[in-house]
Amino acid sequence: MTKRLVIKEAFFTWLDSLRKDYRLFGPAGREIQTAFREISSSEELTMGYASTMLSPGKLFIYKPKEELFTFRAEKEIFIDAPPVPGEKQAIVGVHPCDTNAILYLDRTFLGGYRDPYYEARRKNSFIISLNCSAASQNCFCSSVGSGPFLKAGEGCDILLTDFDDMYLVETISRRAEELFNVRGKAAGRKELNIKSEKELSVLGTIEKKVDVRGLDRLFRANMDHPVWQRTAEERCLSCSNCVMVCPTCFCYNVVDESSIDLMSGRRLRHLDACQDMRFAEVYGGNFRQQRAARLRQFVTHKMNQTGQYGVIGTVGCGRCITWCPTGIDLTEMTKEIQGT
Amino acid sequence: MNPLIPVGARITDIKTEIEEVKTYTVSVDGVFYARPGQFNMLGYPGVGEAPISFSSIGQNGSFRHTVKAVGRVTKFLEGLKKGDRLFLRGPYGKGWPLKKAEGRDVVLVAGGLGLAPMRPVIETILKERPLFGNVTLIYGARNERQILFMEELRRWGREISVRLTVDEVLYPRSWKHNSGLVTDLLDKVRVAAESAIAFVCGPEIMMRFVCRGLIMRGLVQSHLFVSMERRMKCGIGHCGHCQHYGLFVCRDGPVFPYDEVRGLPDGLL
Ligand SMILES: Cc1cc2nc3c(=O)[nH]c(=O)nc-3n(C[C@H](O)[C@H](O)[C@H](O)COP(=O)(O)OP(=O)(O)OC[C@H]3O[C@@H](n4cnc5c(N)ncnc54)[C@H](O)[C@@H]3O)c2cc1C
Ligand code: SF4
Ligand code: FES
Repeated sequence: MTKRLVIKEAFFTWLDSLRKDYRLFGPAGREIQTAFREISSSEELTMGYASTMLSPGKLFIYKPKEELFTFRAEKEIFIDAPPVPGEKQAIVGVHPCDTNAILYLDRTFLGGYRDPYYEARRKNSFIISLNCSAASQNCFCSSVGSGPFLKAGEGCDILLTDFDDMYLVETISRRAEELFNVRGKAAGRKELNIKSEKELSVLGTIEKKVDVRGLDRLFRANMDHPVWQRTAEERCLSCSNCVMVCPTCFCYNVVDESSIDLMSGRRLRHLDACQDMRFAEVYGGNFRQQRAARLRQFVTHKMNQTGQYGVIGTVGCGRCITWCPTGIDLTEMTKEIQGT
Repeated sequence: MNPLIPVGARITDIKTEIEEVKTYTVSVDGVFYARPGQFNMLGYPGVGEAPISFSSIGQNGSFRHTVKAVGRVTKFLEGLKKGDRLFLRGPYGKGWPLKKAEGRDVVLVAGGLGLAPMRPVIETILKERPLFGNVTLIYGARNERQILFMEELRRWGREISVRLTVDEVLYPRSWKHNSGLVTDLLDKVRVAAESAIAFVCGPEIMMRFVCRGLIMRGLVQSHLFVSMERRMKCGIGHCGHCQHYGLFVCRDGPVFPYDEVRGLPDGLL
């Protein structure tokens, strides 16, 4: 692991040189909303972005839509597994919350059974994270320990911190050390102190805070708290925006498609949402028929249900608040139950 | 190994059990090892997949599934014939804790189609009868025409105690068993309550009352096990459909200690 200060220009020249072997993805565009997309030059990057609607992990590693296999009918049915995704990709400018979200998705897709499509993309992704220089209105990462600065050694290959016309570049993985050959000034105690000061100053701008201690027990004791029913009735549209923009929501549905002559087709999966009325429907019943129950599933899955992976389900990116048409805020709901 | 790609299997026999319910004997190439209580994702490319429990587990890669035709996949299966292919992934999930049941009295309670996942349990017990104490099966169906595995129930009755009940009696003259809910029969069970173990499978609301009834009769809460049903799309803890307040029913279940699932939100237990 090395830490050095590198002139931004030199860093971006190196990044562009990666395109020989890697497809490059990063935050781009600034007119309306910065979004993660493929770029052909580092000039397209908007590194100082605040937040994006969709997280890089759920765009480029866990794909919103994925073909699981194709099939064709001859005398018998034959199933053809798609080739394992082999392309190398570099994702640059990933904020700490989104980096932690990828670690969360790892728990789902690599924790027990391994999803081969996710696994291949994860291995082929070179992740260059970027500590935040400013927080947005809905960020609450500091309350859940996932930002605004990344704890060293977590989830990425390289970690950047903005030092005005330079980046503090920390190589985390072995492949980063091999790949990152730009020279710079070795960062010493002074630079690391400046880094800590920067972290503190960003921390100071985070307004949204929520105490997540003891939520498991609190929520279990408040399954019938009026906040669920009231928010569901007055504001929740069951539109699923919260789930779709959530970087840790992992749910998917599986769909089979056949050609019109039924001789071939494919099975695919795409993102699904527990806010959908039929998500938990079975023959003869629906375990979350009520809108309030579905809203509670989202909020409790993010804020507790920590038994699932032993970690809290949210990374505090605040997207579900930003993109909720009626501004439902899971931290506010939590606070209402806490009585604070 | 790609766990999302099904393997082909052959239907070697089909038996119509009751209206809309058929048992398919299925065989796959090579060894196939499954435990009672586990399930397969059964389906066909172009149609879809559904979780279906083993209703019997044989040797040499042969096993049975007893399926009620209720929707897209299961209605498609209903149209298949002997010799046809189908596709499956599995076995998945945690099965019944049969090891724990050894040396104890065993109470098995099944409602409706819930007898299907219980059959491999009974078959195992009968094969190793001396390992278990008193074994009682309580089975309830809607009416006489909805009773699964009638011949086997008679046969099992010679080695374990079998008690049948139907919610409504259609043919009072020929029905020699009980009528009413399965919970009414719990009183008749003779077991060493403190050590007995119980496996329960059926509609969730039935399991709720059965578990409460068993506890009232002195059984220990941690000795009760239930098999749960949730919507499932993957069977491997990824798609999230089966989530039950932090649990994945497909991976952490479908058989759960009653303790673990009692009182969870969005459930009936
Ligand atoms: C662990 C486990 C074991 C099981 N074992 C057995 C067994 O041994 N035998 C057996 O017969 N059944 C068993 N089941 C139940 C079986 O898996 C379900 O009935 C399954 O839904 C059947 O699939 P299908 O495609 O035929 O029905 P579906 O088409 O899925 O329809 C089933 C129900 O879901 C609703 N539905 C339909 N489409 C959708 C949709 N897009 N979104 C939401 N809901 C929809 C329908 O209204 C219908 O009521 C088991 C279930 C589980 C979880
Ligand atoms: S909140 Fe809903 S959609 Fe998101 S992971 Fe949980 S169950 Fe799935
Ligand atoms: S069935 Fe997909 S997570 Fe359980």
